[in-house]
Amino acid sequence: MDQVPPVTRGRQVRSLPLPHRCNNPRNPACAHCGTVIIPSPAAIMPLEDTPSISVGSWTIESRKRPILDTPALSQWESEHLPGLGALPEMIFGGNYVRIRCDLDESKHWDIEFNALDALREVPTEDSGVRVSCASDWLRSKHRRCDGAPPQIAKQYDWTYTTRYRGTVTGCPLVADTTAELPLAMLAKPDPILFFDDMVLYEDELGDNGASMYSCKVRVMPERLLLLARFFLRVDDVLLRVQDTRLYVEFAQNRVVREWKRYEADYNEVFKRHRGGVPPHRDLRALLRDSNWVVDHLPIVERTCETIQL
Amino acid sequence: MMDADMDVPMQDAVSDQLNPSIMEDSGTALQHTVSNTNDNNSNNNNNISSSNNNHNSNTHGTNSNDNDEDDDDTYNDIEFKPGSSGIADHKSSKPLVLNNSSINQLDSWIEKLAKCENLSEDDVGRLCKMAVDVLQFEENVKPINVPVTICGDVHGQFHDLMELFKIGGPCPDTNYLFMGDYVDRGYYSVETVSYLVAMKVRYPHRITILRGNHESRQITQVYGFYDECLRKYGSANVWKMFTDLFDYFPITALVDNKVFCLHGGLSPMIETVDQVRELNRVQEVPHEGPMCDLLWSDPDDRGGWGISPRGAGFTFGQDISEQFNHTNDLSLVARAHQLVMEGYAWSHQQNVVTIFSAPNYCYRCGNQAAIMEVDENNNRQFLQYDPSVRPGEPTVSRKTPDYFL
Ligand SMILES: [Mn+2]
Repeated sequence: MDQVPPVTRGRQVRSLPLPHRCNNPRNPACAHCGTVIIPSPAAIMPLEDTPSISVGSWTIESRKRPILDTPALSQWESEHLPGLGALPEMIFGGNYVRIRCDLDESKHWDIEFNALDALREVPTEDSGVRVSCASDWLRSKHRRCDGAPPQIAKQYDWTYTTRYRGTVTGCPLVADTTAELPLAMLAKPDPILFFDDMVLYEDELGDNGASMYSCKVRVMPERLLLLARFFLRVDDVLLRVQDTRLYVEFAQNRVVREWKRYEADYNEVFKRHRGGVPPHRDLRALLRDSNWVVDHLPIVERTCETIQL
Repeated sequence: MMDADMDVPMQDAVSDQLNPSIMEDSGTALQHTVSNTNDNNSNNNNNISSSNNNHNSNTHGTNSNDNDEDDDDTYNDIEFKPGSSGIADHKSSKPLVLNNSSINQLDSWIEKLAKCENLSEDDVGRLCKMAVDVLQFEENVKPINVPVTICGDVHGQFHDLMELFKIGGPCPDTNYLFMGDYVDRGYYSVETVSYLVAMKVRYPHRITILRGNHESRQITQVYGFYDECLRKYGSANVWKMFTDLFDYFPITALVDNKVFCLHGGLSPMIETVDQVRELNRVQEVPHEGPMCDLLWSDPDDRGGWGISPRGAGFTFGQDISEQFNHTNDLSLVARAHQLVMEGYAWSHQQNVVTIFSAPNYCYRCGNQAAIMEVDENNNRQFLQYDPSVRPGEPTVSRKTPDYFL
C-alpha cells in the first residue's frame, strides 16, 4: 500500500501519474493521461545570457545562470570545497564577470569574479561568530539533555566571509596604498555601454541574517568600474561589508583595485539610527539593504593595488 | 543598488510606476513610500485594531521568557505584545459555522484576493476573527485524509501560488496541505497569506495551513512582512492581526497515519507523534524547545543529532529519521524550509522529503518548485513547475544601469 519509488542517484524515478486536471501550457503533455506535464522542463529562470563588449584592447563579458542543482552541489561539496561543512544554499556557480586585456597576439591579462574562487577563500575554521540566541539556546540544551549533549557537527566560517577580490590571470597587481580611485572621472555622466549585476552566492544563515557576494559592472567609453561586494548581516549581532572596486582606464591600460572592509555591531547601528527612520518605514528593512548599511558603517581596513599593463 | 533585494522583476518594476508603494527596500525608495496606503483603512473606529487591553489573554501567557525579551529596548518602539490586535478577544466555544452571508463575504474576498488586490484593514480583521474560530479547534497534529497535495514554502510569491493551484488543480476540488512560510521575502506576503487564510475559512476541510518559522512576530519583522504591512496599510495593525492569528496555526499534520508533515524537522525532545499532541502551541514560536525544533530543524548527512555551527538549531541524521518513522509506524517525514533547485529532494534514503514551492525564489534563483500529490492508495508523485508567466510580461529581472560608485 505504501510504495516508495526506487531512486537512482541524482534522478528520480517516479510512480505512475494520476489523471490530472491541471494544465500548464509550457510543459509537454503527460504520456499517461495526455493532459498534463510531468515533470516540467528544466528551470528556465533566469534566462541564460552571456553579453559582452569590447573597447580597444579590453573585453568585458558576463554570464548568468540559475543556482547549482543538487548533483552539482554535491560535487562542489565533496570535490571543490571539502572544508566547508555546508555550502551556501544559493550558489550561482555558472555566473561570472570577466575583464580581459589583449596586450598582443600571445599575451593577455584578465581578472574574473566567480563563485567557486570566492568560496575557496572562506575560512575553514570557526569564525567565532554566533547567532544572537546561541548562548540561551546552548544553555537550554545542556540543561535538558541527559548524557552527552549534541556537538557542533563541523566547524567552518558559516558566515561565508571571503576576502576574495577576483581571480587574476597574468601579472599580479602591486600594493600601492597611496593610489586612489579617480572618483571625479567616475562621477561624470558618460554613457554606459555595458552594465550587469549579479549574485555569485547567497545564504540566509538559517533565517538569522544574510550573507551575499554580488558583483556589478558598468563600462563607459574610456573606463570601467566593477564593484564586488560581500555583505553580511547576522541579526542582532554583526554587520559587515567588504567591497572590491576595480577601475580600468582603457587608453592607459591602467588598473586600480581597492578593497575596503566595513564592520560594526548590529545593535549599535540599530540603536543609533532607530530615531531617524521616516514614519511608515522600518529600520530593519533598511538593514537588509547593503547600500544603506555601507553608508552607516565605519571603515576598518583598506588596501589598494595597481598594475600598469 | 547593490543589494540583490533590489532585483525587481519586470512585472514588478512596471507596477512600481503605477503603485509606488511596492518599491523595494532601499534608501532611494523612501520618498516613494505610503502614497497609496490609506484608501482602505480610513479611521472608521475599528474595534479590532484599537482593543489593546488583552495582553494577558490566557493563551498567550505561557511564554513569559519571550515576553521579557520583548520588553528589552530592541523592540520597545514596536507594539510587540501577542494578542494586542484583539482578533482573539471573543473566541467562540464552537467551531465556526458558515451561513449564506459569511459564504458570500468570503467568496467576494477570495475573488478580490485572486486578483492580487489586498483586503481593507477592517476586512482583514473580520477574516482573522473567523479564522481564529476555525484554527483554534484544529489539533497540533492535524489528521488528513488522502488524496491530498502537499506544498512547501511560498514566501509571498503570490503569482506563483496561483500557478501552483493551476498545476495541482483548483481548491476545493483538490485537497491541499501547506507546510508554512507564506510570508516574507516575496513582494506579496499580504495577498498570499490573506488568500490562503480566506480559503482556509471558506473550505476548512479542504485546505490545511501549518505554521512555518516565518509565521512569527520576530522573524516577520526582520524579513519583510512587517515592512510590507506598513507600506501597504500605513500601520502595523494588519501585521498584528496576522501574527496573532499565526499563533493558532497547527504545527504538524499526519496524512493517512503514514506521512508526518511539518515545516522544519524533528526534535530530540519529541520521540512520538503523541508528544506533539501534548504541546501548547498557541504562542509565539519559542527560541528553543520542541515547538521551535519542529519549525526550524534540518536533516543532515551526518548521523545523530547535531548542532548548527551558528550556535542554535538542530540537525538530525538518517538514524534519527529511521527511528522516528519506525517508532511511529510512518513511511515518511515530509517537510519544507530549505530551498532545493529541483523543488523537492529526498534525503535519508527516502525517510525524509523536502518540498519547496516557490519557483525562482526571491525572483532570482532560477529554481523549480514542486508539490507532492498523495493519492487514495498512498502513491506519491511530484509535480514540478516554473515561475508563473503573465501574458505580455517578461519574467527576467530588468537591470537598470546605474552610476554606482
Ligand atoms: Mn522556513
